[in-house]
Amino acid sequence: MALPNFVLIGAFTYRPLIMNIYYSTLNWTLGSASATIVGFGNYVRFFTSDAAGVVLTTTAIFAVLTVGGSMLLGLLVALALNTKVRGQTLARASVFAPYVLSGVGVGLVWLFIFDPVYGVLAYVLRRFGTESPRWFNDPTLSLVMVIVVYVWKNLGYCAIVYLAGLQSLPADVMEAASLDGASTLRRFWHVSLPLLGPTTLFLLITTILSSLQAFDLIKIMTPTSQGTRTLIYEAYVQGFGAYQRAGYSAAISVILFVFLITLTIVQIAWVDRKVHYS
Amino acid sequence: MSLATVKSSATKTETPGGSSAPGRVSAGRRRRILPTILGGYLPLVVIVLVVAVPLGWMILSSFKQVSEIITLDLRLLPQRWSFANYTEAFRTAPFGRFFLNSVLVTTIGATVKVLLAIHTAYALVFVRFPAKNVIFVAVLVALMVPPQVAILPNYILIAGMNGLNTYWGIIVPSLGTAFGTFLLRQAFRSLPISMLEAAEVDGAGHLARLWRMVIPVTAPSIATVALVTIVSEWNEYIWPLIITTDPNLMTLPVGLTLLQNNESGPAGYGVMMAGAVIVILPVLAVFAFLQRYIVAGLTAGTASN
Amino acid sequence: MALSLDRRNFLALSGAGIGALALGACGGPNTSGSTPSSSAANGTDWSKVTPAAEITFWSNHPGKSQDVENSLIAAYHKTQSETKVTLVTAGATYEEVAQKFQTAQQGGQLPHVVVFSDVWWFRYFINDSIINLDGLLSYLKVDTADYVSGLYKDYAYNNLQWAVPYARSTPIFYYNKAMWTAAGLEDRAPKTWQEFATWAPKLKAANPSAQVAHMYAATADYDSWTLQNKIWGEGGALSKDWTMTCDSAEVVRTLQFTQDSVYKEKWAGVSAKDVSADFSAGAAASYVGSTGSLVGVLKTAKFDVGVGFLPGGSQATDMVCPTGGAGLGIPKAITPEQQLAAAKFLAFLGLPENTAAFAAATGYLPVRKSSDMSAMYAKVPQARIAVDQLGHTRSQDYARVFLPGGDLEIGMANSDILTQQANITDRLAKLKSTLTGIYTTDVKPKLS
Repeated sequence: MALPNFVLIGAFTYRPLIMNIYYSTLNWTLGSASATIVGFGNYVRFFTSDAAGVVLTTTAIFAVLTVGGSMLLGLLVALALNTKVRGQTLARASVFAPYVLSGVGVGLVWLFIFDPVYGVLAYVLRRFGTESPRWFNDPTLSLVMVIVVYVWKNLGYCAIVYLAGLQSLPADVMEAASLDGASTLRRFWHVSLPLLGPTTLFLLITTILSSLQAFDLIKIMTPTSQGTRTLIYEAYVQGFGAYQRAGYSAAISVILFVFLITLTIVQIAWVDRKVHYS
Repeated sequence: MSLATVKSSATKTETPGGSSAPGRVSAGRRRRILPTILGGYLPLVVIVLVVAVPLGWMILSSFKQVSEIITLDLRLLPQRWSFANYTEAFRTAPFGRFFLNSVLVTTIGATVKVLLAIHTAYALVFVRFPAKNVIFVAVLVALMVPPQVAILPNYILIAGMNGLNTYWGIIVPSLGTAFGTFLLRQAFRSLPISMLEAAEVDGAGHLARLWRMVIPVTAPSIATVALVTIVSEWNEYIWPLIITTDPNLMTLPVGLTLLQNNESGPAGYGVMMAGAVIVILPVLAVFAFLQRYIVAGLTAGTASN
Repeated sequence: MALSLDRRNFLALSGAGIGALALGACGGPNTSGSTPSSSAANGTDWSKVTPAAEITFWSNHPGKSQDVENSLIAAYHKTQSETKVTLVTAGATYEEVAQKFQTAQQGGQLPHVVVFSDVWWFRYFINDSIINLDGLLSYLKVDTADYVSGLYKDYAYNNLQWAVPYARSTPIFYYNKAMWTAAGLEDRAPKTWQEFATWAPKLKAANPSAQVAHMYAATADYDSWTLQNKIWGEGGALSKDWTMTCDSAEVVRTLQFTQDSVYKEKWAGVSAKDVSADFSAGAAASYVGSTGSLVGVLKTAKFDVGVGFLPGGSQATDMVCPTGGAGLGIPKAITPEQQLAAAKFLAFLGLPENTAAFAAATGYLPVRKSSDMSAMYAKVPQARIAVDQLGHTRSQDYARVFLPGGDLEIGMANSDILTQQANITDRLAKLKSTLTGIYTTDVKPKLS
């Protein structure tokens, strides 16, 4: 019964992985019928190129800020939503809405908001007498912009998952803490947060995975990716974009894959020692 | 007031997995009075605005003529509401077709994926066969393969089987599901074995046990998987982009990008706004309609990890 | 249904699974080291070939040309009934069409006529993905001499013709007539960039609502294309054949001028995304961009739009304008029947009245000398400028059009200089070594 699933995963995820590793050993221009074998050449080329430092730093910054941002803001939003105030269903739905929208559509809309000439943001800033920052021309600002939009889109996911976690905190423990006279803040910090451990771990793993694979937004908002050249986008540009170096691109994808596996293993191993399970 | 809340939380039922029964929201929070306004309403208003303003702006812009969008002198409302962008969008690209394609691909894809996830998770938890843990880890690892990696080899394979510009070519490669399998395995693990063993003694086979016992109980988790799967199927971009050249086969996100043109100057932006609305609005509408169930299901189901 | 798989069944089933994996282990490039034989198109006896019944035409509808392309196809169907042409939107940009075309080489459905831009056709040539058209063009008795020679020669290499012009453009100088009048300037484009530098402060002073007197294009908007004009005006070039000269004193001087215009004199800026939109919105008094955007700009701008030739520089005032846009070609890995059918359609598209119709609908240049554009000029007089400028154009530098990724690298260097205030000599030296590297690894081995 489960076999079709395994076969599908095998055929469409594992087989390409292996083929991709094979391609990464080639010097191959996309579209050409022939290629030469260069073994580890592509990997050496990447790590010795100037681009490597920039790409890896950008990826790290993007990952840390998007994951941190989504999770932190998600938690705060979840706390705010964890009330019985009127309109909370609307707020909960609103928070989650950007997550379900297409990255392409979202990217387009925000392009029009950030544009320094005809964008909404620029217009508002002009009314206040200042000029819009050069979001698209400055690599740092491009990165900031993409991070902001990504967090806007994804914090709803973290918020909803945290909300679920908050709502299943065992009531007896929470009551015990409040009867002990602990203030709201201390209660949260010493009781709720540790109890949310498993949720936090789940979110950490899934948000890191999707952050490192974020693509649509970056492509739509910064097509030449100056400043936003993350590892996955670099693989795309090198292979399918201007350079057409299919083998080199495959090598970069493999590097990314190795990172993802390592990160996940590290997280899970670290967790075995730390998290409480009530 | 506190006594009443203690009582109500004490009577809350809990399933073995630690999650409340579906639909019942925890009532164990104290009512705050003044802080309610600041702590309660204000964040909610801010949250709704932060989401609504960009989307609202997009919708309003889609009714404007290009010269009202590309200007230094922005106005909130269109000077003259015009459907021109929409008619142009539908004329330039077969959006009706895109929508149908998206619906088709998503329905088939998501249904198959969810079914596969359920069966695979069940097998991993309740069926005895060798090397189970290794296989599970292998499934997990599949989650970490970036989509880039799979595109070219899959393309070569599918194209070689004449799957270019076909519905099955779009759907099949993404059918193997790791995320759903992972989440449901965790959910199934938290079920008490005793319940299932009793059913086995009663003579119920695996399928019967699956459909009559496991699924009803883990419905919230399954709903979560269904939702995430539907959303990601609908918003799939890279693969449908590569595997289709014929616009009649394209899905909405892919079709949207078709509205741009090289060197066409700014005249196309109004149409692009309309296109973006067309892509986003159906999902928003469905979501708005179902959000009560979705959000409740999610908050009830994802705590068990 | 088996309840618990015993060891034997399990191994058998997993064996089947692995078999599925092994299936289709083929695919991908051949690494045996043998180069495939060169194009046999010249050797085919076309008189013995019947054109295929159906062909596909991959286009990205440059300049919003979808409507005119459809009407041209309809007209083609009226003139003959042996071949049916299907227009396929293969992407929104030249890059996307190229992506699809490249991946299709690995075993997808190839188009029969495909659009490729100035920076892509050469890559198809060295990948041996397209055929040279000489044999077909002479068999079909196409009047190749009637093609505008500069535009036609752009696709020649090694004395063979690899494509024909289709959506061709030159950049032109766009300016906001109202802002010009406010500044008291003559109603014309500047003759040189140095002359414009004297006009710019007046423009800024007289038009406070404009952000800049001149806007440079963003990297994604092909800034490296128009950069060549400024470099040529100063007597330099990005490359001389295959030698990279992008770090020469002339190029440094050019970029010093543009960098100063942004940072020291502050009359220029760099667009975020689409410079034609910034101009139409009134944020820039002038910009340099493709004539293909002319129709779109006229529609969006709320002011009178003036156009003119590209300015020269201190070393040259003539022959400083690049050409650009896209041409049409025919892939190699399709049957001769399809190639012949494709060529016939190509020839039809190249007829003078059809090129005139295409140009009129988009703002692109009419690529045939005998095209009658009088109706278009009556409606849109500005369209004449690009055509008049044709006689003053020169072919683009190899560094930009023949190196994979060259266009992007040059654009990024330009952007660093104009938006990050990078040190010009250092950045250009780095660019030179990058470009030379691309040539050595990705191009040179295939040329021999």
